[in-house]
Amino acid sequence: MECKDVEAVLERDGLSPLALNTREHLAGCETCRDLLADLSAIVTAAKDISGEENPPERVWVSLRAQLEAEGIIREREIATEPAAAPWWQGFAELWRPRVLAMVGAGVLVAGGAMYFSNDHAKVGGPAVATTAPPAATKSAETIKNETGGVVKAPVATLSAGNTARKPAGRTAAAEANVPGEMRESKGELKPSPSELASFGESAAVLDQTERFVPSRASNAVVEAALRENLRTLNEFIAECKARLKENPRDQLTQEYLNMALQQKAELLNAMMESGRSEH
Amino acid sequence: MERHSVRARGGACVLAAFVVVCSAVAARAAAKEEQEKHFKVSGRPLVTLNNIVNGRIEVKSWKNAEVVVTSTSVPGKVSIDAEQVGDRIEINAISLANAAGSAPHEVEANFQLVVPEQTELQLRTQTGLILVEQVSGDMKLQSVAGDVHLKEVSGYVIVKTASGSLVCTGCTGKLDFNSISGSAQILQSSPTGLNLMTTTGNILYDGEFRRMGLYTMNSGRGLVEVRFSRGDSFDLKASTYRGNVDNQASEVLQPDTHSKHHSISSMAKSLLLTMGQGSARVEVSSYSGTIRIVMRN
Repeated sequence: MECKDVEAVLERDGLSPLALNTREHLAGCETCRDLLADLSAIVTAAKDISGEENPPERVWVSLRAQLEAEGIIREREIATEPAAAPWWQGFAELWRPRVLAMVGAGVLVAGGAMYFSNDHAKVGGPAVATTAPPAATKSAETIKNETGGVVKAPVATLSAGNTARKPAGRTAAAEANVPGEMRESKGELKPSPSELASFGESAAVLDQTERFVPSRASNAVVEAALRENLRTLNEFIAECKARLKENPRDQLTQEYLNMALQQKAELLNAMMESGRSEH
Repeated sequence: MERHSVRARGGACVLAAFVVVCSAVAARAAAKEEQEKHFKVSGRPLVTLNNIVNGRIEVKSWKNAEVVVTSTSVPGKVSIDAEQVGDRIEINAISLANAAGSAPHEVEANFQLVVPEQTELQLRTQTGLILVEQVSGDMKLQSVAGDVHLKEVSGYVIVKTASGSLVCTGCTGKLDFNSISGSAQILQSSPTGLNLMTTTGNILYDGEFRRMGLYTMNSGRGLVEVRFSRGDSFDLKASTYRGNVDNQASEVLQPDTHSKHHSISSMAKSLLLTMGQGSARVEVSSYSGTIRIVMRN
């Protein structure tokens, strides 16, 4: 099996359990391992994004600016329709490592923004997305609908008390809100069934990626530290998953599991990088 | 008999000479080379240091519009490149260990940076200490197993480690710490915002709570201790699933009557308290560790 065959398999079957010959090739091919790791990271990040919400406009602006700065896209190229080309060429472009990395970064940025936005919405804290009022409002309404109106819209009840510590870029409108209303937005956010299912899938994707982490890194001290921390995280993730099996709606456990899964994704990425520096 | 003695003395001399030569060669091989580079800057520089080998990074500030980078490493084992584009300075240290035939984990590069007081930093190392003193600016500091010590820094500071711990003294601005097994100690600081997250490490916050600040501290399995003064003003929410909330200041912390009491988990132990007017918001949680609330004397 060659690299292009692995790409075809991943394209066709996604990250579903891989065939023996594919796994054998991955074991000996660093490029394909990197590709799988990138895909896994993208899938993991994508699981954390609710399909019902759009990221704020500034995320897209930032992503576009980054892509332009990297020279991957140009303004003219965006504005004009590309010349007719076979459809598979465009699809093949998606698999170029640099594009994959940028898309991955974009997904992570969007995922991070959504996670942060949700996280603060739960406690009535400041929403990140106040620079894009329509998207933020939609987010708040969605939360309200999902919880049967228990939680009040966090964007509309931002406390002035919290605005001082917000990073630059948040609107003055949010800062003008009166203190005290923040407390009304407290409440329990129930996860959607898709969110619950995504925990298991994210964990499975990370487990699969873990199998392809190089067994020997260039720096033994670092390698030992990374392995030790991976073991720590796996134990903690197992504990949270066991707890969620008993009570799937335990929000505290969900939050800790989510954080641990994110840490594991970053740790695996660091381990891949550590292995790469060997060569 | 005498001839035997002379032969033995000769052998000893040869052996001693051999040892001396070997020691000299080894010392020469292990001798560290120090390099110093100067970069003139006009405004607020951005200094990026990516050290993928072991070693410590020390950053201190001065009033000059110049960045001085002093590196110490064994010649031939580490390649250190530095380039400047405007006010952006980028330094990379990579291992040449494979080429030199030595074990990669023995390779080390230590850095001392002197930067203007207003400087943005992006520092990354593997196992050494990162120390930043009296620098104001946004920072991203990453380490696998090395600790991070910050003294009198301000700005938006992001610290990420796998097992390295953070000690932050006299810090202001916004601080974001994320670690798997590292601990965090925030001492004599008055950050405007704080987000500390560790899976198994401990957290100690012994600083001020600024009005309108949000302070979030989460540890999966570790101890989270929050110390405050009688004059502080904050609302506090403490939650733990399998741990305990050890409130040692129950005589001054009042139940948070202006909050709606929603437990974030049906099984979690939660405590909602308030101090003064509740100007700041403090959210503390530990999945299975202890949360300790202490008032300073």
